[in-house]
Amino acid sequence: MDFGRPQQGERVRLQMRSLYILPTRFGWLWLAGTVLMQVVGIQMQSNGTLLLSFLMLSLFLLALHLTHFNLQGVELGCGAPAPGFAGDPVPYPIQVRCPGRSEGVRLRLGGEQAGAPLSLPPGDHELAVAWTPPGRGWQRPGLLRVQTTAPLGLFCCWSRWYPAAAQLIYPARRAGPVRLLAVATAPVAGAPSVASRHDGSEDWRDLAPHRPQDSPSRLAWKLLAQGRGEYAKRFLDRPEAPPLLAPEPGLPLEQALEHLSERIWSYHGRGLSYGLVLPGQTIAAGRGVLHRDQCLAALATCR
Amino acid sequence: MSRAAAPLQWLTMGLLAVGLLGLSPALSLSLLAFGLAVLTALKLREARRIEERRVVALLQLVCAGLLAALRPELGPSLLQGLAILMALAGLLALELGAGPDWKALLRRSLQVLLAALPIALVLFLLLPRLTPFSNLGTGHGMGAVTGLSDSMEPGSIAKLSVSREAAARVAFPLGGGPPPLEQRYWRVLVHERFDGRSWRSAEPPFARPAAGQPTPAPPPPAPGEGIQLWLTEPSGLSTVPWSGAGRPLSADLNLQRSGELLNRAPGSQRRVYALTRTAEPGDWRSVPPGPSDLLLPRGENPKLEALAGEWRRLGSERERLNAAGSWFRAQPFRYSLEPGALPRQAPLDHFLFETRLGFCGHYASAFTTLMRAAGVPARVVSGYRGGQWVQPVGGTGYIDLRQADAHAWSEVWLQGEGWRRVDPTAWADGDPLASATAGAGSLAGAGGPWDWLQQQWWGLDIAWARWWLGYDSEQQQALVARLLGKQRHLLGLVVLLAVAISLAASLGGLGWLGRRRSGDPLRLELERTLRAFARQGMAPQAGETLAGFAQRLTRRWPELAGPLGDFVEQYQGQRFASTPSRSGRREAQRLGRVLRRSLNTGIQSKEAVQRVDR
Repeated sequence: MDFGRPQQGERVRLQMRSLYILPTRFGWLWLAGTVLMQVVGIQMQSNGTLLLSFLMLSLFLLALHLTHFNLQGVELGCGAPAPGFAGDPVPYPIQVRCPGRSEGVRLRLGGEQAGAPLSLPPGDHELAVAWTPPGRGWQRPGLLRVQTTAPLGLFCCWSRWYPAAAQLIYPARRAGPVRLLAVATAPVAGAPSVASRHDGSEDWRDLAPHRPQDSPSRLAWKLLAQGRGEYAKRFLDRPEAPPLLAPEPGLPLEQALEHLSERIWSYHGRGLSYGLVLPGQTIAAGRGVLHRDQCLAALATCR
Repeated sequence: MSRAAAPLQWLTMGLLAVGLLGLSPALSLSLLAFGLAVLTALKLREARRIEERRVVALLQLVCAGLLAALRPELGPSLLQGLAILMALAGLLALELGAGPDWKALLRRSLQVLLAALPIALVLFLLLPRLTPFSNLGTGHGMGAVTGLSDSMEPGSIAKLSVSREAAARVAFPLGGGPPPLEQRYWRVLVHERFDGRSWRSAEPPFARPAAGQPTPAPPPPAPGEGIQLWLTEPSGLSTVPWSGAGRPLSADLNLQRSGELLNRAPGSQRRVYALTRTAEPGDWRSVPPGPSDLLLPRGENPKLEALAGEWRRLGSERERLNAAGSWFRAQPFRYSLEPGALPRQAPLDHFLFETRLGFCGHYASAFTTLMRAAGVPARVVSGYRGGQWVQPVGGTGYIDLRQADAHAWSEVWLQGEGWRRVDPTAWADGDPLASATAGAGSLAGAGGPWDWLQQQWWGLDIAWARWWLGYDSEQQQALVARLLGKQRHLLGLVVLLAVAISLAASLGGLGWLGRRRSGDPLRLELERTLRAFARQGMAPQAGETLAGFAQRLTRRWPELAGPLGDFVEQYQGQRFASTPSRSGRREAQRLGRVLRRSLNTGIQSKEAVQRVDR
């Protein structure tokens, strides 16, 4: 069931006027079963069958109210949404205040799959509802559908609401070329900084399986002598100053931003320093979560 | 979807399968129920999604409803009720959380069922009943089971086995007690046609009303009239036992001119019916005999005919009857269940003049033939005789008839008197009824604990038949008439109002159950007490201990120091005791109540003082 006037606003309290309720397909089937039992009971003059038919009818009436009470008076609000990446499922915080026990509550954002039914005791709850934002920037998740069919599945009670809080969405992470600008300032002392992509010959970095095209001078003779196989030593050039990342020229801006997003994520994962140069905005080289989030936010809001 | 859902639904299938076991396969509806149950089980086996499982629960309910229509007895009804409860629990479990919390699930199912029951009962009791759309599927005579049959041929039975199987029960719910033992003759079949060996009953003309035209319901019993309430086991006969006196109380019963009672319900089912107890003037007793009541194959039993020829010369029929009675009493007849087969030639001569050994069929057959040969219209009646009076604990007493109580006797037509019952078996030596009458009362109470249990169960069964199966259209109308009197046109409004009130009450009850706090009783007591103080504006601050809070309270209400100290001490003692005791918890709860009461009285008296000050 998915129609009806959506609610607007920061917080919304589900009331008579904002809740919709209709029998499910199973509910209609149930009614048909009730009628069948009534017919059999009348035809066979059977009190047991008649009572069962009336019992099914009264369960139907009761379920109408019980299902409605699951959502009646429930207050919905948005929490402070944490930023996320476009293209991936992102949790969106929904605050739910239940006046009584709410059973079988399912929340669904946008065109996502409905989550598992939740049984919420009275009180405040903060639920994370996943949605997949389509693009970067300050995004609203769209329509939130709250629905329940508990306790018997005979009725579906639902409501629709546009949560007001926007969520900052970074560009999707996609590997690709990025323009690296040299930087004038020296790297932060003692901090490892980004190496160029090419291997150098200055500092030993690590070992790698020996390839035929590797120079014999790079062969790790000691390991070979110990019988541990053929390995080639890899060297790096002298560490350079931390690079400034910039959109690759010649690519559409959105695509270039997606490459930058991936690059920033991977540099942060390796603990490297980097800066960012965007049209109209420059962020000096640095490291850490705050720096990363600042860079990603700049990407998200870049025009 | 709770993990309890699948076991619950399989359990329901098992209960339904047990319920299906006792069905007679002859009824088309029982085939339908059987097929539906098989389909439901297959659906349950393949169902994965929650929607499919819901449909399974619905199918199970429909199965239980069909079973209820086919087996309305007490035992099967209990089974069906259990199956319905389990099917509902399975349906509820589909919506509950993952954990198989059986206790919570069962509690919730019972809550929902009990909440729905008042509405269902209101509808069930007050809504007018519709008459059946047609008389489909209520045929009669589906294969004999045991006991009586519509042909009686005593000569061919060498040994009659005694079956202790239940045949019928009759209760007299409006009081009056059972008839005396020698009066307990329960007639079922009248055999008029005799071919020399076997007695057959005339095919009863079955007055079947046209479809869609309901027979008018007979009037309810007058205030002074007693009721005989019958409950007969499946017999395969369309005629049912009755006392011979009374008026049928339901349109299903049809009293024949011969004194047979026809029941339209199929003979393969248990039947429940009621009659009044009072004799009607001008009933079957006064219906004059037809020519068939004198027919007899002449020349088959020459000695018998010669004997009857002597009596024929006597004047009135009464004198011929008396002559036959004294003749029988003068001969050494003995009652036996193993008389041996009679020869095919002149069987009754052989019985009357040589063996003189037989059971009720022999006596009834020989006596009736003698009477016919003597020119007195006579016929054989079969039914039950005697029966044990059972008084269950706290219930209506009933007469328990077994298949062993099956009996045959004669009826002779006496001019000016009508049909009169004559039981020639009573003249024989060793008649079981005569010995039972002699030692009356010694029969009751005999038997082991199993018999006692069975008698109690049957007592319940009678009550069930009376209150549940007997609640039909007429009863319903009587109830409505009692409730509303002349305001019958308000019935619709009353039903709607009653449904609304019971719905509101059920929802209120469920809501109250939902709000009720559960958990540690000691903690609940503390919270109750804290709420009482919070209403006066005193709540514990963050990090404040109970003792610290109590000190703060004492500063504000010095007069509460005593009860407060007692409560806090008892609470903490109980809370931190190595083995908390039940009595300690009770004491804490009592002290909590004392504290709240003194808080309230203290505040009231303070307000009173303030009012006086002003």
